[in-house]
Amino acid sequence: MGGPKHVFRWDLDKTYLRTEFDSFRDLVKSAIETAADKQAYPGATSLLRALGASDEHRICIVSGSPSQMRSVLAAKLALDGVRYDEFVLKNNLRNIARGRFRALRAQIPYKLPALLESRAGSPPAPHETLFGDDAEADAIIYCLYADLLTGRVPIGDLERILGAARAYPDEIARTLDAARRAAKGPVVGRIVIHLDRRSPTMPFRRYGSRLVPVFNYFQAALVLYADGVLSARQVLFVALEMIDSRQFDLSTLATSMQDLVRRGRLDREIALRLAEEAGEAAASGALAERDDLPPFETISTRFRERLRQLGAAGPLGWTNEDEALDYVALVDEEHHGRKVRRRGR
Amino acid sequence: MGGDHAPEQIVQGAAEASLSLPGAEIVLVGDAVELGKILPRLRHDGARVRVHHASQVVEMDEKPAEALAAKPDASITVAAGLVAAGEGDALVSAGNTGASVLAVARSWQLIPGVRRAALASVYPTELRRGDKDDPFSLILDVGATIDATAEDLVTFAIMGSAYAKLISKNRRPRVALLSNGTEAGKGPAAVVRAHELLLEATELNFIGNVEGLDIPRGVADVVVCSGFVGNVVLKMLEGVSETILRMARYAHKQNLAWRLGLAALRPALDQLKSVTDWEQYGGAPLLGLDHLFIKAHGRSSARAITNAIKVASKAQAGDLCGSIGRGMRELAERTGRAGVRAPGDEAGVVT
Repeated sequence: MGGPKHVFRWDLDKTYLRTEFDSFRDLVKSAIETAADKQAYPGATSLLRALGASDEHRICIVSGSPSQMRSVLAAKLALDGVRYDEFVLKNNLRNIARGRFRALRAQIPYKLPALLESRAGSPPAPHETLFGDDAEADAIIYCLYADLLTGRVPIGDLERILGAARAYPDEIARTLDAARRAAKGPVVGRIVIHLDRRSPTMPFRRYGSRLVPVFNYFQAALVLYADGVLSARQVLFVALEMIDSRQFDLSTLATSMQDLVRRGRLDREIALRLAEEAGEAAASGALAERDDLPPFETISTRFRERLRQLGAAGPLGWTNEDEALDYVALVDEEHHGRKVRRRGR
Repeated sequence: MGGDHAPEQIVQGAAEASLSLPGAEIVLVGDAVELGKILPRLRHDGARVRVHHASQVVEMDEKPAEALAAKPDASITVAAGLVAAGEGDALVSAGNTGASVLAVARSWQLIPGVRRAALASVYPTELRRGDKDDPFSLILDVGATIDATAEDLVTFAIMGSAYAKLISKNRRPRVALLSNGTEAGKGPAAVVRAHELLLEATELNFIGNVEGLDIPRGVADVVVCSGFVGNVVLKMLEGVSETILRMARYAHKQNLAWRLGLAALRPALDQLKSVTDWEQYGGAPLLGLDHLFIKAHGRSSARAITNAIKVASKAQAGDLCGSIGRGMRELAERTGRAGVRAPGDEAGVVT
């Protein structure tokens, strides 16, 4: 039996789960919540289920939640019918016991080696898609991971980057070792960043077109459809879950699509092709017994209309595709931003 | 997309509203390329802010009718058409006032019974009112209808009262007619007749006539007048406020003692400034049409636009137009009068 063809790496808090940990109260609430209390973002469950439906896909979850929460988080994923192949959590009790308080909040020195060790420790897949959020340093970590695998960032530079990220010496050694062992290649084709904080999308453009910031999981599904990962039928199920959440309707979904096209993250032609294929999927039964929705022709027309409303305006262009990222500067900037946010609370 | 600070401040205001009004969806009508460059720089919800391209814009200094005729794809015309087609519930614009009012008057329908629309404006007063402790009273009309009949003035009273009930959460707003004396017989014929009709309107809390000096005192919550009078009054009140500020600046420069005195008064002046901050109210609603139009000030900042969108959203959620419609039906039942739109009627706008 061959290895997986596509690995999907997911963060949990603020990516899959609607988690608040901006205050001590939020942290306590998050820690005592039961699995049934925990809420996934609309559409995220259908998306994860769709990705996990193929035997050729591997789902790896790397979360900064403490390992003591494993049982409740696993129960939540089971409740949602989400399967996974790997589930890594942060051992914060060990960090406290060793007096390593900096490591409690550190993202890069925890997550980067976890990603690299995951790749090094299992049959390497030719394709990887990574899911994170804008609450912490996911964009930097995922891009760094991708660039280490392609060799764009030499392992020699990694020590300096980890130093800027305030990593402990043993964390640096562990990361360097994992980076040497991980199978190399241009495997990370897509990085999806869920904009939980509703951050402006412009600053993410420096990471290049492989990283797509999304406001919701319909946008994520559209991107994965364009990548050939999801079928139109699977996109339709993500959309239906979002409509059922009552936080979205056909209009906001159509607007979400327009937003991606306007930002140059989805081709108009692909969006139109999706409308056609989704229509076929709907006709073949995907929308059966959904008499709360208008006929699919009406839905399809609304989506086409939303694209037409953009006029002849072209999407934003890419100017910095080949620019190498200065990870030390990015890490410093992220560290500073986190300090400012903490002071602002 | 018009306005002195368009499109940046308008887009920023809309972006902020998309975050603070979770149920609202905002359509930005204007140059899609320009708007597409601004939005990615701002925090917003991409599922709730959409762009509708319009290739033309009516400039602030253009003549309304001529500009609308020459620019069929002007953003205000496109936006008014979208609302008329059910693609939106309300319209907010900081652009050319005349062109905006004309565009919506051409695209939308008057509420049955309403013969003329009225532009309302808020003005800070000594007294506060309603559950919100609102310092603003409402004056209408301030420019949409130059010559108002007695029936028009009664209609304005119904519309202003409905607006104050909903937006200021004032359960029984005091409605007054603006005249040159408090006695019932004072004023031009239309005002005298309107006074008689309003006395019969028991559904309104009509307190009689007020004079100009009663406006800043806050004697009435809704002040009713013709568009010509309202516009003159509003601009005079604005002029007085600006002159006082200029005089304070002059005093500040004159000698140290005055400067120290003003410095000592600073906290009180800041509080006064916050109370009289027009940006918190967003803009002037145009009442009487089957959709709500909020005319934001041409100088509107992002904050004013956000607040104008919030007011529009609140008015929509509270069914302001339906409320005015019910008021007009009650009036028709009581008086046996059904207002009709006069042939060739169009809002005459004072700018």
